[in-house]
Amino acid sequence: MAEEWRLLDTGLNDAFYNMALDEAIATARSRRLVPNTIRLYRWMPSAVSIGYFQSMEEEVDIEACDEMGIDYVRRRTGGGAVYHDTDGELTYSIVVDEDHRLVSEDFLETYRKLCSGLVLGLRLLGIPAEFKPINDIVVHGKKISGNAQTRRMHVILQHGTILRRVDPELMFRVLKVPSEKIRDKMIRAVKERVTSIRDALGRDVSFEELKEAIIKGFEESLKIKLIRGDITEFEEELAQRLKDEVYSRKEWNFKR
Amino acid sequence: MGKATYKVKGGKMIKVNLTLNEGRIEEIKIMGDFFLHPEETIEDIERTLRGCILNEERISSLIRDALSRKGAVLLGASPEDLARCIMMAGEENG
Repeated sequence: MAEEWRLLDTGLNDAFYNMALDEAIATARSRRLVPNTIRLYRWMPSAVSIGYFQSMEEEVDIEACDEMGIDYVRRRTGGGAVYHDTDGELTYSIVVDEDHRLVSEDFLETYRKLCSGLVLGLRLLGIPAEFKPINDIVVHGKKISGNAQTRRMHVILQHGTILRRVDPELMFRVLKVPSEKIRDKMIRAVKERVTSIRDALGRDVSFEELKEAIIKGFEESLKIKLIRGDITEFEEELAQRLKDEVYSRKEWNFKR
Repeated sequence: MGKATYKVKGGKMIKVNLTLNEGRIEEIKIMGDFFLHPEETIEDIERTLRGCILNEERISSLIRDALSRKGAVLLGASPEDLARCIMMAGEENG
């Protein structure tokens, strides 16, 4: 019988809670309070997340975000700045023990293994997706998914995005460009380098259809059975606390 | 303050802000979209670089030492790439 993992579909939440809940699940797993888990989620309001090592002021147009009601948050993981559109993106996270068969000491190998679920999920939709080291999934060379991993307390947390639709103009209203002069150039570069499910298939795929494909992709590729479950009380309380004390705070978000 | 941006070939973006005092690094912040595990090692690297003279080899070797002390892994950039960007920021500051 396939190994059973928990599946969480936590729907729409704000950026601070979303990042807090990923950390809370990882903490709960490290204390053996919950099974290995895959979580699917979205962002409401739309938000920008930046990598652990990035500077909020350098990457994000704070004023534009405030005007448009877009949240901004620093992630626990490295990597780049991402615009998470409420309707344009599905996000997932995986929380799994460090000594699990799917995890190796080698980061690239672990990215490849864990991303294989997304690659298969996209292929099930008819999209010829491929893993591209270090941490991307591409279609005909264009990025459709970005992923980031952290390891703490003997648990791996990997989270990442799946683009349903992409709007480069909006992306560069919320992300800073080095100068106005090259804004158009950067927008063109994104159009050349980034794709989405809509661009790849020429049609919109609903969140329900996308989730179904991704779930199947993870199950088959990782050889696991995903059982729908709920957040535990421990996770909910810890997530609220992490949101209030870390992720919604200036000290965290502007620390670099 | 000196600022520099350096794109690693086939890798990630590094940004450095620093201030120098009599040829030594006084304050430094290393930023970018690379990966470093454990993440907090970045603060160790910055600490170890304060007071260091602006010498590319010296900086690389301090970064390598800080990584190995922590058993840390840097992905998408090398210690030499970080050192390169730090030198660029330092030269701009000088």
